[in-house]
Amino acid sequence: MPQLARHAFLHGALAIVPLSLAVAPWGLLAGSMAIEANLTALQGQGLSAIVFAGAAQLVAIGMLKGGANLASILLTTLLLTSQHLLYGLSMRPVLSPLPLRWRMGLGFLLTDEFFALTSRYDQQQFNRWYALGVGLTFYVAWNLFTLVGIIVGQNIPHLDQLGLDFSIVATFVALITPLVRNLPTLVCVAVSLFTSVLFTHWHWETALVAAGLLGMGAGFVCQKLAEGRS
Amino acid sequence: MIWLLIAGMGTLVFLNRYAFLEPRLPLRLGSNARQFLGFAVPGMLTAICGPIIFMPDHQLDLSLLNPYLLGSLVAIALVLLTRRVLLSMLVSMLIFFLLRSWLA
Repeated sequence: MPQLARHAFLHGALAIVPLSLAVAPWGLLAGSMAIEANLTALQGQGLSAIVFAGAAQLVAIGMLKGGANLASILLTTLLLTSQHLLYGLSMRPVLSPLPLRWRMGLGFLLTDEFFALTSRYDQQQFNRWYALGVGLTFYVAWNLFTLVGIIVGQNIPHLDQLGLDFSIVATFVALITPLVRNLPTLVCVAVSLFTSVLFTHWHWETALVAAGLLGMGAGFVCQKLAEGRS
Repeated sequence: MIWLLIAGMGTLVFLNRYAFLEPRLPLRLGSNARQFLGFAVPGMLTAICGPIIFMPDHQLDLSLLNPYLLGSLVAIALVLLTRRVLLSMLVSMLIFFLLRSWLA
């Protein structure tokens, strides 16, 4: 690695440190929840190492505990991580001209946090080594916190009775609330909340996906109606 | 089954991330598709929270003294008042645990 590249890499690694620390509770949760859902330590670590998507990991673990089937977990993963399509589209001008190994490497590392730090650069300013420093540091931090969560989850008994499932609710509520800034999003959340409880009460296998899609559809229709009126 | 799930999830997440970085792909998401996908985070995350809040132990609990419901309301209030996600999570979890031991 030439000196300029090393400098850019370290610059990126330093820039992501605060966000890497803020993700610690999520990582701990991802590790300990995996153990709580009866995954092995290797499987818990594998989720963080291979999937590398906090919300999708926690949701998959939650659905596994609820007895959901493979197809509905995969469909939920696809829907939950679909915002990455938009990140990819937005970063297409700077990332798509890169060689294949860079595209695939930085593509794998394209998280919400990565996007937040690197998307502001245009084609002239964008430095692939800076982006690699950001992405790799965050990846290592996420996996280290997951490992700590796995160790804690294995050594503290009755972790499942500590109400850890509320931490998913607390985390998601804290993420959803700032998004509810307009009527369509409020309608989306309301429809999704009501139908998810109703469908689960009816013991539907695909309750969560169906409720999520209905909520998204309701929000979308609401937005279209508002656009049509203005 | 678990490893199949991990491999499947890893593939799907990577495809979502990589799809538009592929230079040979001429496709673009239409504005309707983008708008619909824009509701994915609130819609999907809410759907996951719903049953955890209102069906603890797989039993419908619509009581106002349900600690999951009270804890969620506290979390919403804290986010709106403080705008600090991490703080709101931690404080609402603490209040949830207190409520649960009182109301149990």
